[in-house]
Amino acid sequence: MSLNVEEKLPNPKAGSVLVIGGGIAGLTVAWELARLDVDVDLVEKSSFLGGYAIQFCCKAADECQKCGACSVEKRLLEVIQEPRITVHLKSQLKEISPNGRFSYTISHHPLCVDPQRCTNCGLCLEKCPVPGAIVRGYSKNNMPLYAVDEAKCLYFRDGSCRLCQKLCPEKAIDLDQEPHRISKEADAVVVASGFQAFDPVHRPRYGYGINRNLITALDLERMLREKGEVVRPSDNKVPEKIAFIQCVGSRDHQLRHGFCSQVCCGYAMRMAEALHYRHPEIEVAIFYMDLQNCGKNFSRFYETCKDHIRFVRFMPGDIFQGEEDQLVLCYANEQDGHAMRETFDLVVLSVGIMPGASNVGLADMLNINLDKHGFLASADSLDDTSTSQPGVFLAGTAQGPKDIADSMAQAGRAARKVAHHLRAIDGSNEQENFSG
Amino acid sequence: MRSMVQTNKKTSQAKSTEDIAMNRNVLVVGGGWAGIKAACELAGLGYRAILVDDSTGLGGEASFDHFVSSNGDKLSTLLDSINAHQAVEILLSTRLVSLTGVPGDFRIRLQQYDEVFERSVGAVIVALEADPVSLAGEYGLQRAANVLSQSDIESVLAAAPEDRKLLGNGFKDIVFVVGLHEEENPLVMERTIRSALEIQVSDGCQATVLVNNVKLAEDGLEALYKRSRETGVLYFKLREKSQITQNGSNLRINFFDTVLHHNVELTPDVLVVEEAFRPHPQATRLAQVLGIDTDSEGFLQPDNVHFLPVRTNREGIYVIGSARQPCNLMHGWTDVENTVLEIRQLLGKGKKRVPAEKVKVHRGKCTLCLTCVRVCPHNAISWDNRAVISTVACQGCGICAGECPMDAIQLVDYSDDQIEAQISASMDKEADGPRILVFCCQNSAYEAAQMAQVFQMSAPDGLQTIKVPCAGKVDVDYILKAFRAGADGVLVLACHKDNCKSQQGNTFAGWRVEDARRLLSEIGMEEERLDFATIASNMPVEFVRITRQMEDKLRQLGPSRIRRQAAA
Repeated sequence: MSLNVEEKLPNPKAGSVLVIGGGIAGLTVAWELARLDVDVDLVEKSSFLGGYAIQFCCKAADECQKCGACSVEKRLLEVIQEPRITVHLKSQLKEISPNGRFSYTISHHPLCVDPQRCTNCGLCLEKCPVPGAIVRGYSKNNMPLYAVDEAKCLYFRDGSCRLCQKLCPEKAIDLDQEPHRISKEADAVVVASGFQAFDPVHRPRYGYGINRNLITALDLERMLREKGEVVRPSDNKVPEKIAFIQCVGSRDHQLRHGFCSQVCCGYAMRMAEALHYRHPEIEVAIFYMDLQNCGKNFSRFYETCKDHIRFVRFMPGDIFQGEEDQLVLCYANEQDGHAMRETFDLVVLSVGIMPGASNVGLADMLNINLDKHGFLASADSLDDTSTSQPGVFLAGTAQGPKDIADSMAQAGRAARKVAHHLRAIDGSNEQENFSG
Repeated sequence: MRSMVQTNKKTSQAKSTEDIAMNRNVLVVGGGWAGIKAACELAGLGYRAILVDDSTGLGGEASFDHFVSSNGDKLSTLLDSINAHQAVEILLSTRLVSLTGVPGDFRIRLQQYDEVFERSVGAVIVALEADPVSLAGEYGLQRAANVLSQSDIESVLAAAPEDRKLLGNGFKDIVFVVGLHEEENPLVMERTIRSALEIQVSDGCQATVLVNNVKLAEDGLEALYKRSRETGVLYFKLREKSQITQNGSNLRINFFDTVLHHNVELTPDVLVVEEAFRPHPQATRLAQVLGIDTDSEGFLQPDNVHFLPVRTNREGIYVIGSARQPCNLMHGWTDVENTVLEIRQLLGKGKKRVPAEKVKVHRGKCTLCLTCVRVCPHNAISWDNRAVISTVACQGCGICAGECPMDAIQLVDYSDDQIEAQISASMDKEADGPRILVFCCQNSAYEAAQMAQVFQMSAPDGLQTIKVPCAGKVDVDYILKAFRAGADGVLVLACHKDNCKSQQGNTFAGWRVEDARRLLSEIGMEEERLDFATIASNMPVEFVRITRQMEDKLRQLGPSRIRRQAAA
């Protein structure tokens, strides 16, 4: 057996890889593969890379709380600077034939904003008559920074408005671009299509959507990221009392969600600490069943949190409307069991990680399995990146709930499995050539 | 719009590089399943692994890990293959006693019994297992025939149900205590749930679990927990440790149940006490030998997201699996693959292209005081007749350059001359408001500043930024120079504590700002003109807020004395 490294490392021209999903897992797989000199096509269905994680705020108090949001920022910057990675925004996989090599077709929706011309002046967003029809990325590394949401834009509805195109001083907007399809081939596929956050509408007794001061943790992440502070949506004032409700959508056997989302306790505690740091006068309570760990030395972190946060072991079943847009939670006092009614200015629902909407379609196209909850199932109990199909690998929350750090680690493993696969097929090609 | 962010001018043209040889041997410390897998993967890529363990065998049962106990076949195949692999040298009853050198060329000394011998390796992987420690003492209990540790009950349950005679011994009520002394983790919880379930289903006993938080943040655990409850395992969730009396063989447990709201007394036949996972007994010693930092519990990785998943403060030394954080085999093997990626980048095919010069040490100025050696967070500095900085190990933070009392160390891309020229140039620009100079760590504040600009946030008009590789590079001289050049105020912006890629860069920066403030007040300048703050790359709003606050303060103070004098 030869020990020559030169022969054993993957051939730099070993092939190209399709990565589905541009969230933190997809970005990491793509970047790790590029570092191995493999070409990558990164397909992202939205207008921006970074998925949910790029929307998260820094939760540092005096010191870093290890939420990992800054790692996403860094990884995104690395990916957009990496020439081996071809990014396809507003694109979706339409067909794929798994026959050794993967022949696939992706549909591209027009970006409408030319990244070369756009100077990020923001005039389009400012002047657009329909809220949400022009959207802005979350990071400076989301380029172009502005995008047109076809579902809301009047031009795409009935052709009645072209204001942004007319106003853009750089002529960077072109609404008439046609969608098109691209067909390519890949030697391996990594599914990193991510999750969808639980929609609290499915827990109607919370009344999400009725009171504006009932928000999801994702809303709070975005608010802290954009404004740097927390305010009540109803009056833009800093709330005096905030409640977090854990396990919204997770560990919910009524909804057949018999799994823990693994991230919510961590983000709620970290955000609560960040809120306390920024506004020490705010009272924060967390309603929970079982607190899950986050990061290293959780015991110590939890002890610190207890100094600033009230932890209430009770899951309020209903949320009632109070006066002045306040919200009322009812719960049993842990000590004597007495019923309590408590009023809050803002209630945050710690929504869980649910299987991605595209999982069913992807599983079908790629001929891989779903687990009983609807996540993509791994085929090896010791390797959660493997699937039943050779050359198809999993990374990130498409496979199951996990935090940023675990998504990145799993993505690294997936990249290694891909490299291994490429070497194997490269070897077999060589053998074929040799015998031919 | 005014450009708020000034990019560093490329001073050196095409960088000269050199190729250095990288040793393709890799030391793997710890012969558990993660260490074995790492050695195997490396050997498969053509590296040569030296696998050392201070025990007398590889693998081990690790009965606490369901991934190990349920994958016996796969693991024994792996063990066979590693024993047969030519590219793996297995050294048992062997300890690592010292390590010197640089990544790609570490010299190690190993001790096997009385014999000490040397090897050269390019990289090191630490794959120590965690140490399961019974918390019986913490619960005020003595080990006894009816007070078992979690490992004890697992050994009992390892036998077939008909052979283990739990009921036959008259044991009917079995109580588990877990997570009441300290917050446990899913690995600990899974052991308890599996044992309780097994006893309940196969032995006809009643299993009861006293627990605080049921830790289920791991794939499949919620389902397992649910199944155990459906089969009749009882769970009481307590806020604090229950009162346990152990009187001879009589056990009595009293606690207040927060669901029933009354006191409960249990008199179990057997009590099973949890085990916590502590760092391996060798971890502290190994951290010293390897020059790597630990976290607050003693696991071999600082609590800093930039090191995740497997890096340490020292290039070329990686920590995997339960060496860095208690974890199951699945996650341990994820670490293995990530380490292999890192080692591929570092050692490649045995050659690495590096910048010919990253840092210059001035021979005439260096007095071998070794300040740099002491402050380098990456262990990148050694010495002969002057300080020698390893190009591979050096991460370019510049803490050494900032601390060197002789100014003998210069970063090629960020020399004192370059930075001072930038300070002068930036202060020559006209500005309407107070002139603020901000030293920005490239990893955090500089990104935040750029982000604020892209998002059209209105930062102060008189703001100028200077990018530094790490806030730890900011010298007191730079700060004074900025004031001399006409700054009304100076800010040093660093990463948050525990988020500095060089661990201590922010701490050094904070100290130096303190020093400089003292100097300012000595020469009669308001020390409020200088401030230190921490920030992250994704905090453009905070960047604007911090700089605006400084601007407001400077408006109240008026132009600096130096600028007023210059104007007069």
